[in-house]
Amino acid sequence: MPEGSEARPEPLVVNGRVLETLPNALFRVELETERRQEITAHVSGSSSLLRILPGEAVVVELMAYDPGRGRIVRRR
Amino acid sequence: MTTKSWRDLQSMHRACTIVVETLDALAEAAVAGTTTKELDTLSRERIVKAGAIPAFLGYRGYPATLCISLNNEVVHGIPSAKRKLKDGDLVSLDLGCIVDGFYGDAARTVAVGKVSPEAQRLMKATEESLHAGIAQCQPAKRVGDIGAAVQGVAEGYGYSVVREFVGHGIGTSLHEDPQVPNYGPAGRRERLVPGMCLAIEPMVNVGRPDVRVLEDGWTAVTVDGSLSAHFELSLAITRHGPWILSEPYPYGKETEKEAAVHA
Repeated sequence: MPEGSEARPEPLVVNGRVLETLPNALFRVELETERRQEITAHVSGSSSLLRILPGEAVVVELMAYDPGRGRIVRRR
Repeated sequence: MTTKSWRDLQSMHRACTIVVETLDALAEAAVAGTTTKELDTLSRERIVKAGAIPAFLGYRGYPATLCISLNNEVVHGIPSAKRKLKDGDLVSLDLGCIVDGFYGDAARTVAVGKVSPEAQRLMKATEESLHAGIAQCQPAKRVGDIGAAVQGVAEGYGYSVVREFVGHGIGTSLHEDPQVPNYGPAGRRERLVPGMCLAIEPMVNVGRPDVRVLEDGWTAVTVDGSLSAHFELSLAITRHGPWILSEPYPYGKETEKEAAVHA
């Protein structure tokens, strides 16, 4: 019976809201989860997304490796 | 990762032999009109009669003794009384049992009646890729060498290997470290040492490698609907090379046996 591979973990996709922009194209994002965590997130893909402003609603992917880091995949 | 003593390997040898003999009986019983539940019952009766314990039943909530996956199903298909085999089906049978607390695990894909030439070629490719992987099981080789060999054969046929599921170490649990992917690169991952036991199990798709799991939480199917085959054997790494645990110890010399599995 094969084991599920750990090599390709699925990211956790959650909604968030940008609190502020940080240097190096990073953003502080508040997650709209019960615990209202704050994480640091970078932006995936195209640079047009770089002009994300505080207050914007976004979708963030989290990986199990580092729960304090995320990746903004799109606006919403 | 744990290494096994010669004594441990006797139990694993018994477990693996029971599994493979049961698979032989299942392969004969897999004819058109048989339900997949009947094969599950047959496998449970044979394993219990041999004095072993079904390994999959209750494993992470799995509801049966046997995994039976038809055609575009890759692995982890759940037996059903409502499902009958029909002529032309490609049937993957995956089975495990426990003897003295040690696990044996093996799988093979068989044809019901007459299957398409593509299905026959797929079975041949998958079994060949398994044996290419086993041939890499020499001390001081690495887990990545196994994956690279399997992948090379499967992709050489123009097929693809599944990434989401992998082979595994085996022993006092069904799944132990290390994971054994069916893809490269060679020369990476854990080093193979005598006494290590691995279950190598290529899952090969005719089309794309992607799979998804159905609503039942178990059955994995190919995303593009293409045929899939699955072959698996459990083996021990010895100083002389691989010992396929469902077969007699192949390296002779009674007196050296103990030493064969010491690193």
